[in-house]
Amino acid sequence: MKDFLTRRNLLIGAGGAVVFAGAVFEATRLVRRRHAPSPYDDLLVRLDDRDAAAAIGEEVLVGTPDFDAPAAAGELRARFAHAGMAQTAAGDAAQGRLVEAHGWVLPETLGLLCALAAKTA
Amino acid sequence: MSAFIDARTVPEGTVLETDLAIIGGGPAGISMALALAGAPFRVMLLESGGLGFDAKTQALYDGTKTGVSYLGLQVSRMRYLGGGTNIWGGWSRPMDRIEFEERGWMPHSGWPFGLEALQPHYPRAQALCEAGPWLYEKAEKWSPEMGPMIALGEGGVATRWFQFSKMRGSFLPTHFGLRYADDLRRVRNLSTYLHANVTRLGLARGGARIDQLDVATLSGRRFVVRPRFAVLASGAIEIARLMLASNDVMAAGVGNANDLVGRYFADHPIPRDIATLVLFDGKLAPYYLSNQTIERAVMRAGLFPDEAYRRARAVLDSSITVESVTKLDELGNSTVAATAAALGVDAGNAVAYSLGGGCEVTPDPERRITLDGGRDALGMPKVKLEMRLADSDLAHFRDTLKELGRQLLTSRAGMVRLNLKERSQWLAELDWGNHHMGTARAHADPKKGVVDANLQVHGVSNLFVAGSAVYPTYGAVNPTLSIVAMALRLADHLKGRMR
Repeated sequence: MKDFLTRRNLLIGAGGAVVFAGAVFEATRLVRRRHAPSPYDDLLVRLDDRDAAAAIGEEVLVGTPDFDAPAAAGELRARFAHAGMAQTAAGDAAQGRLVEAHGWVLPETLGLLCALAAKTA
Repeated sequence: MSAFIDARTVPEGTVLETDLAIIGGGPAGISMALALAGAPFRVMLLESGGLGFDAKTQALYDGTKTGVSYLGLQVSRMRYLGGGTNIWGGWSRPMDRIEFEERGWMPHSGWPFGLEALQPHYPRAQALCEAGPWLYEKAEKWSPEMGPMIALGEGGVATRWFQFSKMRGSFLPTHFGLRYADDLRRVRNLSTYLHANVTRLGLARGGARIDQLDVATLSGRRFVVRPRFAVLASGAIEIARLMLASNDVMAAGVGNANDLVGRYFADHPIPRDIATLVLFDGKLAPYYLSNQTIERAVMRAGLFPDEAYRRARAVLDSSITVESVTKLDELGNSTVAATAAALGVDAGNAVAYSLGGGCEVTPDPERRITLDGGRDALGMPKVKLEMRLADSDLAHFRDTLKELGRQLLTSRAGMVRLNLKERSQWLAELDWGNHHMGTARAHADPKKGVVDANLQVHGVSNLFVAGSAVYPTYGAVNPTLSIVAMALRLADHLKGRMR
């Protein structure tokens, strides 16, 4: 027993525990990233971090309880037919198309995308 | 050089005569007394306090308050020579032209004179405030050496500049009493009485003129001043108190035939941490965060709604300042990352800042000073303040912050979080500017104002009001510079009037 509790073995054990915990965390994250197919995946693919977007979207939905997902998706597809994400988002701001999420002032396009992410999370 | 006179040494029952009595030795009273040096008439400055703080004198300010949480009536003022400048922060900025306009969307707005009436007096006011050379927006010629201004897309909010009073030989703002005591002593046609409390404005029979001021000291002396003209310069609360309490000839008080004295009291709400500003590149020029010296002026930049935006969108004035670096929560970090990604910019170096600021309030006749049942040590009725704050006024400020956020998104430079929404949130973060205004408002029509365009009390031919008591509307900038400019204008008027 005494031989087993050497400094070397303890360090190996602690290191192994850290690696194992990290692996579990990463695996959980990867699992979480697997989203069920939705009718809006063509839009949601524009989001770098769909889980984070869903969290933001929950806050958007607080301010828009009558959110109509199919209508929003249609609007977004129409916008993206003419311009990319960056141009559309900046254009939203220029034209005063804004939404609030937990107080954050967002371009409407981003807000709608996040709301769709929340609806499909 | 003549010494100040201690009113406690004036024999009981003395009757003093003077051409002009100025009641109150704050920035307005001192500026007028200095501006009238060499005038062909005698001037008397009557100051309640001495040269320093005295608790018993300060206690004369005591009163009650109801309504929205507000500062104690004793702590927001200073009752000794220099008045409010003994506790001011030195923030200086002239008023905008729009402040003077009658705006259909703003009830009770409209001054009986415009900005052009004050403009000739601002340079001298700036000198008296020791706020440095007149730069303000001209600072932008030099400020790029310290860093660029915040990039804002086209819209209603823009960078504007404060200048700061800095008393000669000190890092403090100019305390008018300390700074100008010797100058006042040198004015040969001026007699300055300290510890002299005016307790009654004595109207002549019929009420069309002031012919006597009753003066009392805390040591028990009482005497009388008979002036040809008098100016009330003791601050918006005390001016209303004295006018209302002087009710022996006119039952409603002096200048109060239309029940306006004491109404429309205002101050600037100064809520903390109103919003969070995120700059994606993390770069903020130092003049937004703290005072910087630019061309011998001590300056700081703020973010203001411009006049065109205020007219077009019918919004009240406000000023926004960057207060400190702050940290975001997990949702905040995610939101910044998602927004920057959506805009196609890198937010790897993003920094968040807490925003503070002040805002204008809509004139409200029910936000008012009245007399309380209690009496102070001199037998004067105490005041009661009914303080109110409209949700719509806070909503104006929030709209302007949202406009700032919109402009940051447009320029892809950053974004804003609006931290306050519900009334309870605003009230929890609320401070006040200690800028007492409005209780003797100016208007050409006696039914709408206590004083006219010359700041003469309607119906009382020899009584005038100096200071922010006359403000019909309030803007959002600190009032001292304009108080001094208006006092200098009144001094000019009296020079002509008293020939």
